[in-house]
Amino acid sequence: MKPEYNVIGKSLPRTGSVDRLRGAPVFAADIQLENPLILKALRSAHDHAEVVAIDVSKALAIEGVVRIFTAADIPGKNLLGIINKDQPLLATDKVRSRSDAVALVAAETESAAHEALAAISVTYNPLPSVTDPFEALKTDAPKIHPKGNLLFSRKIRQGDAEAAFAGCASVIEKTYRTSMIEHNYLEPDAGAGFVDTDGTLVIYASTQNPHYDHKEVVTLLGLGDNQVRIIQAATGGGFGSKLDLNVQGFIGLALFHLKRPVRHVYTREEAYLATAKRHPLTLTVKTGADADGRLKAIKAHIVCDTGAYGSYGIAVASRSAVHVTGPYEIEHVDIESYCVYTNKPFCGAMRGFGAPQVAFAHESQIDLHARDLGMDPLDIRLKNCLRVGSKTGTGQVLTASVGIGECLEAVKPYYREALESGVSAPTHPFRRRGIGLGAMWYGIGNTGVQNPSTAGIEMDPEGHITLFTGCADIGQGSTTVLAQIAAETLGVQPAEIRMVVGDTKYTTNAGATSASRQTYISGNAVKDACQKLGDVLMTEAINRLHSPKDSLVFQDGHVVIKAGPENRPEDRIDFPCLAKRIHAKGVPLFWQGYFDPETIPLDPETGAGSPYATYAFACHLALLEVDTLTGQVTLEKLVAAHDVGQAIHPENVIGQICGGAAMGIGFALMEEFEPQKTVSMKDYHIPTCADVPTVIPIIVESAEPSGPYGAKGVGEPALIPTAPAIINAIARALGERIYHLPANLERVLAASISSGHFGPQEVTHG
Amino acid sequence: MMNTGYVRPRTLEDALAFLAENSGKTRIVAGGTDVMVDLRAGTLKTDYLLDVSRLQALRGIEIIGNDLSVGAAATLSEIYNSAILEAHAPALQKSAVNFASKQIRNVATIGGNVAHCSPCGDTLPALAIHEARAVLSSPAGERQVPIEAIASGPYMCALPQNEIITRFILKPATVAFADFQKIGRRKELAVARMSMAYMADKDAEGRICFFRFALGACTPTPQRNHRIEAMLTGQIPDAARIWEAGRVLAEDTIAVTGRRASAVYKESAIQGLFMRMVYPLV
Repeated sequence: MKPEYNVIGKSLPRTGSVDRLRGAPVFAADIQLENPLILKALRSAHDHAEVVAIDVSKALAIEGVVRIFTAADIPGKNLLGIINKDQPLLATDKVRSRSDAVALVAAETESAAHEALAAISVTYNPLPSVTDPFEALKTDAPKIHPKGNLLFSRKIRQGDAEAAFAGCASVIEKTYRTSMIEHNYLEPDAGAGFVDTDGTLVIYASTQNPHYDHKEVVTLLGLGDNQVRIIQAATGGGFGSKLDLNVQGFIGLALFHLKRPVRHVYTREEAYLATAKRHPLTLTVKTGADADGRLKAIKAHIVCDTGAYGSYGIAVASRSAVHVTGPYEIEHVDIESYCVYTNKPFCGAMRGFGAPQVAFAHESQIDLHARDLGMDPLDIRLKNCLRVGSKTGTGQVLTASVGIGECLEAVKPYYREALESGVSAPTHPFRRRGIGLGAMWYGIGNTGVQNPSTAGIEMDPEGHITLFTGCADIGQGSTTVLAQIAAETLGVQPAEIRMVVGDTKYTTNAGATSASRQTYISGNAVKDACQKLGDVLMTEAINRLHSPKDSLVFQDGHVVIKAGPENRPEDRIDFPCLAKRIHAKGVPLFWQGYFDPETIPLDPETGAGSPYATYAFACHLALLEVDTLTGQVTLEKLVAAHDVGQAIHPENVIGQICGGAAMGIGFALMEEFEPQKTVSMKDYHIPTCADVPTVIPIIVESAEPSGPYGAKGVGEPALIPTAPAIINAIARALGERIYHLPANLERVLAASISSGHFGPQEVTHG
Repeated sequence: MMNTGYVRPRTLEDALAFLAENSGKTRIVAGGTDVMVDLRAGTLKTDYLLDVSRLQALRGIEIIGNDLSVGAAATLSEIYNSAILEAHAPALQKSAVNFASKQIRNVATIGGNVAHCSPCGDTLPALAIHEARAVLSSPAGERQVPIEAIASGPYMCALPQNEIITRFILKPATVAFADFQKIGRRKELAVARMSMAYMADKDAEGRICFFRFALGACTPTPQRNHRIEAMLTGQIPDAARIWEAGRVLAEDTIAVTGRRASAVYKESAIQGLFMRMVYPLV
């Protein structure tokens, strides 16, 4: 039976929603500082070149130009990167892509800064460049980094895939390609900073990870931890791109030297040019199934193009390898994944870390097997899906909260109804309807590495509660969810808890707002802190209520004796009273919580290990219509079932699902970032409301025992199954499959032509 | 951009006088949905912006005698909501349905759409099939030019800098069939990869007795296609005949634009879109 909660599972008003409606939260570009200098970065003019000389004399002579920084001005370590350090803030000996910053201008006005950018003279010695990752892997390819162009590889080997294929009734091998994608968050990157009276460099930033920013800026400037303070400004979306240092390092460098307030705001064009992208992947996947449709073996070769720098590339390569099996049990596994440098804008984290790319492949494969074997696509998924007790490709045995079967069952009625309504029967001379399924699994948190979170909870002597968390709420609602978890644990209402969020001076590290990890990991850290505080309160209450601890519960800001028939005043004691007494005894009322999911690193040779402590699951159903004459695709409906363990805030979960589905539509049908060609939103199409159909969200709750109140995560899973469902629906509509995302007008029309649908068709009326 | 002056005269005479005085350093602006984008991008530099959007002489949609007059400052929303256009130039009314987004339709004007000379202008094919002429005012008086003569190439306006487009004169048509269709990379807010407009009537025997057609976004300047019109006029429209006309249209267009990489899609899609648009005739 499902436990009853006070605030968990209730869609209470979001923390700060009234302030948000009033326009109170201040975004970084709107921060008012006294007479700030304007910062602008000069970007590389080449894909790959030696930087021979930088002449700033002309630029410095421009009125209003205060200073121009180059790499020589960086006092600490000029090398950034969250996983591997390979990216200079300002170019030293060479540039590796056009995103690279070569110099930084500080000027009194925007126009002086712009003029200065044009007046800086950089002498380059152009080097041969390589933009194709397969070319980059060849021995004679231009070397982008000293250690070569292969940044990382991940192998996962279990059983004997080759031998298993021989016994399979259906063996399918296909190559899939995905495109570079821009995050296109609403708020372009921005920050501002000043030097505090005590000399601390204070930096406001639009960020997903203030504590990482802090560490990088400290290292970059060679300062002590206390000399830099990062405050997360109100943040208008991130989707992974605000995990890298964007403006923070520039602001820190200018503050360090100039001791004057500065601001640095990217235009949309600069956000396009200079920030991370989604990795384009090329994967060749071979899978085999027996005559009953049971998947037996997979062999996969994955190449992730990380562009000029690593950023989160290693994480993407590693996660791609783990996830390419799909949410299915496959005994024989032979997977290799490579992360390769090219002279392109760097690729980093983007909602799903490679999982959306590989889901396109594994969901296409399973549909191909279904067709090959004459099976129903839903049945074949149900037959193969992971269950409690299943072993994953890395040999991890799943012990609980495996809700993929439930997700598939949840979309089943919609699927059957669509089939019965004759979705695939041609009823129009040049429109074909199609239905498609996409399933996915997603490991919560980082892959096979520690990724702890911490949180602090404090009760003052008057009984007021304050929660301290470094967890950046970038619009997804983590502050609300963490307040709910704290409130549930301590028996109060979320609105009664004061939240201190994303300020490195007052909060401790909660890790990145990424990998769908904050509800699960930071939620657990908050719960841990609250339980420690709660234990102190309970211990004190024993002496006042004369009742053992296990008879006591928190209720409406009191400790009360539970299950008492009558509500007697002597059976309860309020927090202020307890806090005062505890404080008087000198017992701490501030407690720090901690959680690090139990993961086992992947073996470098076999990939064996437990990369994640828990997994989220989902299945989407797409219903659409293809115009066979033009290649236009019109979505009719999406049904999206997500196993989130426990929805802490159901409306938030639904928001994530619908937003993720919209993003998935873009990934499926229209988004493609082409370096140098794609300059702004004029050239890059994300879906508008008109492209998004009715989305029917279904929340599946297969509780995770290690999660806070059973919760897992949903942020990235929301996006992952959408594109596969759409691609499978197009394949079903046309009888011809698309292997290269996006399935844009050109590719859909080509599929329509090659499948013989182009031109007026006979119609069966019925 | 910051050093651009903004002028909003009260009358057409004042506007023309300002333009005469500042010829060569003034850009006419109405809704600003193209001009402001170009200014920000730095591709347009001008001393003055002359705002004509509120000039009475440029407003209104009306039937005058045998002509249909559409003010140059009529917004796309006004075009969308116009009962007169729905009755007398239905393809033009339909071209406003999916024009950019509602916010843009509320300020963008038909005069601006024409004067910007983008090959992708959504109103151009519909104006072409109504044999529209632009009425131009200058201190010397008024003159009329066919809309096909306004652009000398993509984004190149052939009009002298001292003239203002005040309105368009269309040949009104009450027809049984008319449509405008386009293909973009998404359902709204996408530049047309191709667009087309037509209007037609059938006689008592089911033959096409009147057919006007224009293709947009594929050629440097959108124009009526007399060859296709002649091919279908007098014919009984069946799927095969329309499909064949679409093929000829595609072939003709590719002959003009050349066989670039994008032609692979365009060639088929022109035929396909033509089929889809004209299919109600079958």
